[in-house]
Amino acid sequence: MNASEYLPKDEVAIIGGGPAGMQTALALSERGFSVRIYEQKEQLGGHLKGWHHLFPHGVAASDLLGQLKEQVLARAVPLHLGQSVDRLQKVGAGWVLWQGERPLGRAGVVVLANGFALFDARRKEEYGYGLYPSVLTAADLEAVFRKEQPWPFGSDRMAPQVGFVHCVGSRDLKCGSPHCSKLCCVTAVKQAMAVKSLFPEAQVYCFYMDLRMHGLEYEELYRKAQVDYGVRFIRGRLSEAAPGQGKRLHVKAEDTLQGRPLHLQLDMLVLMSGMVPAFLLEQQERAVFLKEPVFGSGFVPVQGLLAAGSVVQQEGLFASGACKGPATLPEVFADAAAVAREVEQYLKSLKAVAHA
Amino acid sequence: MPKPDFGFAFAPNRALDLSAPLLPEVQVVLETEPSIRACMACGQCAAVCTAGAFTPLAFYRLVLQLRGGDVAAVGERARHCMLCGKCQMTCPRGVNIRNAVLLMAALAPPKP
Ligand SMILES: Cc1cc2nc3c(=O)[nH]c(=O)nc-3n(C[C@H](O)[C@H](O)[C@H](O)COP(=O)(O)OP(=O)(O)OC[C@H]3O[C@@H](n4cnc5c(N)ncnc54)[C@H](O)[C@@H]3O)c2cc1C
Ligand code: SF4
Ligand code: SF4
Repeated sequence: MNASEYLPKDEVAIIGGGPAGMQTALALSERGFSVRIYEQKEQLGGHLKGWHHLFPHGVAASDLLGQLKEQVLARAVPLHLGQSVDRLQKVGAGWVLWQGERPLGRAGVVVLANGFALFDARRKEEYGYGLYPSVLTAADLEAVFRKEQPWPFGSDRMAPQVGFVHCVGSRDLKCGSPHCSKLCCVTAVKQAMAVKSLFPEAQVYCFYMDLRMHGLEYEELYRKAQVDYGVRFIRGRLSEAAPGQGKRLHVKAEDTLQGRPLHLQLDMLVLMSGMVPAFLLEQQERAVFLKEPVFGSGFVPVQGLLAAGSVVQQEGLFASGACKGPATLPEVFADAAAVAREVEQYLKSLKAVAHA
Repeated sequence: MPKPDFGFAFAPNRALDLSAPLLPEVQVVLETEPSIRACMACGQCAAVCTAGAFTPLAFYRLVLQLRGGDVAAVGERARHCMLCGKCQMTCPRGVNIRNAVLLMAALAPPKP
């Protein structure tokens, strides 16, 4: 294929049909560009598909997802479902998208919107995820709320003891993730309140190092959890979980505010598994590979201003949403608008050159 | 024969057992003054406390010890308070500290 064969300069390919991919597609489509979405799964939605209700206001995740999908359908954005892009090849000023040996399509601009992965909690062996059925991740608990998974304790337990461990696989150099996943604190608070609403007699504890309530109204949620829901916050990282009485778990931690060790029997332990890179971007002169991440490989590197979307070293390649690092949905939506604007500028600059 | 001395003595276990339910008298304090629950252990109350400079009084620590069930120590320490109210003026979470301290002080056995 030579450069002159290459035509569809205004065509934008979006890799990933999660919140970032959908919103970026909408923003570009509204500006009159032709966009298409490549999504590896058979359905749009990304991680949002797996959530029950959203912080800080408790909006149903399915409502938001439904609205997004409706808009994508209304704008008739072409969808390539079940197609996983693993390589981009530069041809002329544009790109050819590949899945293995199969070319999937071409585009003038590619926007990476392939999101994040959840930290594999089995790697923190001391917490026994995968070993003890009453140890869940935050994502598992969302599935329990969605009634896709049973509670890990019997229905006779009216007053379950429940613990949340913050920062699992985040802020942990030994796991290769030095970063803070930034939304698990508020997610823990949201989930702790939901457990208390379902089981008013429950004792709920959050084990934190510091509470990072960065978003609008998150701090208020924290206070509400303390005062209205009686959730107890213990500063100290859980050291271990082991089998306890009956089906319970025995957990240990240091209460660092009191300078005293503590222990506790729990019916359910929820690990706030952090957000980690879903893929490793290997950049070559005229090709980009999307590979399995390795230890400490980091998120997609972007250049320019803090919120910038253009990928380091690559003309015509942009990144949107949580593939650049932990982000909440409002942040992802704001980012999508910013990235769409950058893509527009880029395409206009190409036209200006062509007309010169 | 004298017992060998290894240079240490057994102290009572310092570990807190959170599984133990809150003592009824602790629950009464928390329910009578629910704003105590809003404490986030920032320590500002202790930093301004005049009595705290000379006595073991530090309000936020009383809150932690109260939950731990150490009512005798809480009651004892709360009695060092002079009710000047500087802590309450400074508390960013609006804890009604004066009332909380009075409730806590009542936990100690009355002085003979
Ligand atoms: C436990 C938890 C709870 C959360 N709760 C909230 C909340 O209440 N409120 C809130 O604002 N935010 C919440 N978030 C954050 C929210 O999930 C993210 O902001 C959002 O999912 C990011 O969207 P994204 O599209 O960037 O990534 P993703 O949701 O990860 O979507 C990426 C998409 O790309 C696809 N993809 C990946 N690789 C390829 C490939 N090679 N080819 C084709 N397709 C590919 C994936 O299949 C997926 O559909 C939560 C996060 C966690 C971990
Ligand atoms: S948001 Fe909270 S739980 Fe998540 S990594 Fe940061 S400090 Fe830890
Ligand atoms: S000033 Fe208020 S919030 Fe801070 S430690 Fe004291 S009582 Fe708690």
